[in-house]
Amino acid sequence: MELLKVEDLTFTYPRQKKDIDEAAPALEHVSFEIQEGEFIVVCGESGCGKTTLLKLLKRELAPFGEKSGKIWFRGVEQNSLTDREAACEIGYVLQNPENQTVTDKVWHELAFGLENMGVPTPVIRRRVAEMACFFGIDDWFRKKTTELSGGQKQLLNLASIMAMQPKLLILDEPTSQLDPIAASDFINTLVKINKDLGLTILMTEHRLEEVFPVADRVFVMDKGKILLMEPPREAGRDLKQINANHKMLLGLPSALRIYHGLDAPEAECPLTVRDGRNFLEENYENRICRLERKKTESEGTKKDRPIAMRMKDICFRYEKDLPDVLESVALTVYEGEIISLLGGNGAGKTTLLNVVSGANKPYRGKLEIFGKRIQKYSGKELYAGKLASLPQNPQTVFIKMTVREDYQEIQKVMGYSQEEMEQKISEIADLLGISHLLSRHPYDLSGGEQQKAALGKVLLLQPRLLLLDEPTKGIDAWSKHQLQLLLKDLKRQGIAILMVTHDVEFAAGVSDRCGLFFDHEITSLDTPEEFFCNNNYYTTAANRISRQRYENAVTCEEVIELCRQNRKIKSGDRSQQRNGQGEAHEETE
Amino acid sequence: MNGFGSYHPAVLFSYYVLAVSFSMFSMHPVIILASVAGGFLLFGAQNGIRKLFKELGFFLVLFLLMSLVNPLFIHNGETVLFFMNDNPITLEAIIYGSMASLMIVGVLLWCRCYGAILTTEKFLYLFGKLIPKLGLILSMVFRFIPLFKVQIRKINQSQKTMGLYATDSVADKIGGGVRVFDSLVSWSMENSIDTADAMKARGYGLPGRTNFTLFRFRKRDGILMAVMGALAAAVFTGFAWGSYGFYYYPYVAEISRDIQSAAAYLIVLAFMCIPGILELKEKVSWNYLKSKI
Repeated sequence: MELLKVEDLTFTYPRQKKDIDEAAPALEHVSFEIQEGEFIVVCGESGCGKTTLLKLLKRELAPFGEKSGKIWFRGVEQNSLTDREAACEIGYVLQNPENQTVTDKVWHELAFGLENMGVPTPVIRRRVAEMACFFGIDDWFRKKTTELSGGQKQLLNLASIMAMQPKLLILDEPTSQLDPIAASDFINTLVKINKDLGLTILMTEHRLEEVFPVADRVFVMDKGKILLMEPPREAGRDLKQINANHKMLLGLPSALRIYHGLDAPEAECPLTVRDGRNFLEENYENRICRLERKKTESEGTKKDRPIAMRMKDICFRYEKDLPDVLESVALTVYEGEIISLLGGNGAGKTTLLNVVSGANKPYRGKLEIFGKRIQKYSGKELYAGKLASLPQNPQTVFIKMTVREDYQEIQKVMGYSQEEMEQKISEIADLLGISHLLSRHPYDLSGGEQQKAALGKVLLLQPRLLLLDEPTKGIDAWSKHQLQLLLKDLKRQGIAILMVTHDVEFAAGVSDRCGLFFDHEITSLDTPEEFFCNNNYYTTAANRISRQRYENAVTCEEVIELCRQNRKIKSGDRSQQRNGQGEAHEETE
Repeated sequence: MNGFGSYHPAVLFSYYVLAVSFSMFSMHPVIILASVAGGFLLFGAQNGIRKLFKELGFFLVLFLLMSLVNPLFIHNGETVLFFMNDNPITLEAIIYGSMASLMIVGVLLWCRCYGAILTTEKFLYLFGKLIPKLGLILSMVFRFIPLFKVQIRKINQSQKTMGLYATDSVADKIGGGVRVFDSLVSWSMENSIDTADAMKARGYGLPGRTNFTLFRFRKRDGILMAVMGALAAAVFTGFAWGSYGFYYYPYVAEISRDIQSAAAYLIVLAFMCIPGILELKEKVSWNYLKSKI
C-alpha cells in the first residue's frame, strides 16, 4: 500500500500588496505516490516550490493560501486525520538546526514530543534511552542544547522526532547549515534509519554529492512542477535530455556532471566517485595526463603587486587562561587575488578573519593592512573603502525594515551625497541581480537572497580587501556558480579576497591560492592545482574521480577538458581490451 | 559521584527546608553551632579543604562585622564591660550579636551549598507539576539566555566591521547598543516562528501532556527520608519540651547539661551533619575505589 498519495495538488500563496502582477502558483498539478520504505530526494533550484510541497504534506505547517487537490496519508485524506495522527506519524525536520530546538537540555528535547503525546514517564524513559543509544547521543545526553555543535543539534532534532516513532520522515534541507563532515554523518544516519528501520524518508537537498546516489527515487522540481520522478541513474541521464542548460545540472554529483559534459549517452550513467572512475577508465584513454594551464597573470606577476594585507607571528586567544586559537600565523594577501582557507570545524578560521577585520585583537604579532599597522587606523577609517567583512550569518548585517534602508546606512560611513548613494545602490543591486528585493524586509528573503543582500551591503563600502566567512553556506548550485563569477569579477577590479569555507568544490573553482588551517596555523598554502592534487581526502570529488588517470585535474571542467583531449576509447578497442584481459586471466589460471 | 546531590529532589528540598528553618528559628547556641558545623562540613566535602579555607576568611569578616554591630546599638544586659560615648557596652549584647551573626553565616553557608545541590533542573521538577506550563517556559527561557548573548556579540561585531558606530565615543556606544537591541528583537521574533513550527510539528498542544524527568525515587531515597523524618520529629519534640529554649537578656542562660538535653543536642548535630557525612563518605569510598583501579 502506498504510504502517501498526492493527487493534482495546486497551491498559490496569497497575493501581496507589493507584487504587481498576479501571483503564479507555487505548485502546479503535482501528483505522486510514495511507497512504504522509500528514500526520496526532492531537488530543484531555490524557489522551485520544494519547501512549499513538503510543508503542505505536514498539516500543522501547511502555509496559508489557495489549495486544490488531495493528499492521502495511509489511505486517509489529510483533512480527516486526527490531530494525534497528523502530529505524530509524520516527522518534520526543518532547515535551521538552532531554531527548532525547544528546550534547554538534551534529554528534555528528546522527550519533548513524547510529553506532548501524553506518554507515561516509564515509557518515555525507555524510548529516550533507546534513541540516545541508536544515535550515539549517550555522551552528551545531559548537556545543554546551546553547548552543542551544529551537527549535534541537527542529529538531536532528528532523534527527538524519531523518538515519536513516525511513519514518514520529511526533511527540508537538513544539512544546509552543516559543515561537510557533519553533513555526511547526518546523511549516513538517514540511510541507516531507512535501511534498518524501513522508515520512509522524503527530503530536499542542495548538496547532492552524497544523497543523490543513495536515493530510491529522485524528484526534480522546476517552477512548481515535478519534472522527473525516477531512480537517480535515470533522472541524472534524463535531466540533460529535457533541458541541456537546466540550472539543476550544476548541482548534480561530480561524476554525473563529468558524464554530462562529455556527452556519452551510450555509457551507463555514473553516480558515485567509484562509478565515475570506472566510467573514465572504460571510456577514455590517458595518454595525456597533465592539463597544460595558461599561466594566469595573477600568478606570473604576483610578487610585483601591492600587498593588501600582511600578518606575521599573529597569536590570539579569547581569554588569558584559554589555549591559543591562533599560533604564530603568517599570511600575505596580494591585491587582486582570492585566497581560500579550508579546515575543520572550530579550527580557528573564523577567528582569523575576525583578527584581520579588527574585531579580535591579537596579543602578539604584526598585522598590516595596505601597508599600515591595524592599530594606527582609528574609528571607521579602516572600514571606509579599505576592508569589509561578510559574516557567516547574514542576518547580523541587517537592522532596518527594508534592504534599501539598510543600504542607505552606508552613506554615514562613506560620506556619499544622496544621489551618489542612490546610484551606488542601484549599481550594486544590478551587479548582484537583487534589484527586485530592495523594498523587501531582509528577513523575508530566502537564505541565498539574504546572503547576496548582505554581500551587497558590504560591497557598498567599496572595499579593497574583502573577507568572506562561509559565503556558500545554504545556497544552491546555481547561486554558487553566480557567486563564483562575481568574485572573479571583483578580483579583476583588483580587490583582494580572503575567504574561509568548507566548500572544497567552490574553493577549487575560484581561488588563486588555497590553504589548510590546522593546529592553530595555516599549513600548505598553494595553488589549487598543487593543493588539491597533493591531498588524498581533502580534495574535490572530481579530483578523486580522475586522480588515478590524470595528474592535475581538480574541477569537473578540467576533467572534461582532459578527457576531450585524450579522445574516446573506440568500442572496438574496448572489447579487445576486455578480451585481452579475459585471456590473461585464463592463462594465469 | 553519588553524593548528597544524587538523592531525589523531594528529599533534598525537604531537608533544606528543615535545616534552614531549624537554624533560623532557634537562638540556642548548640543548634547554631551544629548548623554552622554541618554547613562547613558539607561545603568542605563538596569543594575541598583549600576552597573551604578561602571561604573561611570571607565568613570570618562577615561574622566580625555583624557581631560588632549588635553591642553598639543594643545596650541590654547586666554585665557592663565599658562605656562608649556614655553608652554601656554589655557582655550579653556581644554574645547575642556573635550568636546571631553565626546563625546568619550558617544560613548563608547552607544557601551556598544549596545552589550546587538543588539545581534549577531539580527545582523545576518539584514545582513543574504544580504549574505544568511553567516548567516548559522556564526551560525555553534557559535556552534563550545564552543564545542571546552569542547573538548580541555577533551583531555587534558585524555592525562594527561595517564602520557603523565603530568609534569609542559615548554617542556611538549608545546608538550602537540601541541598534543591536533592535536587531536582536527582530531576529528573535523571526526565529521563534521556526521554533513554534517545530513545536507544533511535534504535537505541542495535544491534550493530555505529560512531564518527563530523569529523577526516580529509589530505595535509598526512602531510607534517607525515613532517617531524616525520625531525626526531625525528635527535634520537634525537643522544641515542644523546651530543650532548645534559650535567652541572652538580662543575663545569658546556662546551657543545661542533663542527659535529656545532651540527647537533644546530639540529635540536632546528627541532623545537621547528614549531608556532609554522606558527601564525605562518598569521597572517601571513591578514593578507595579509585586506588584499586
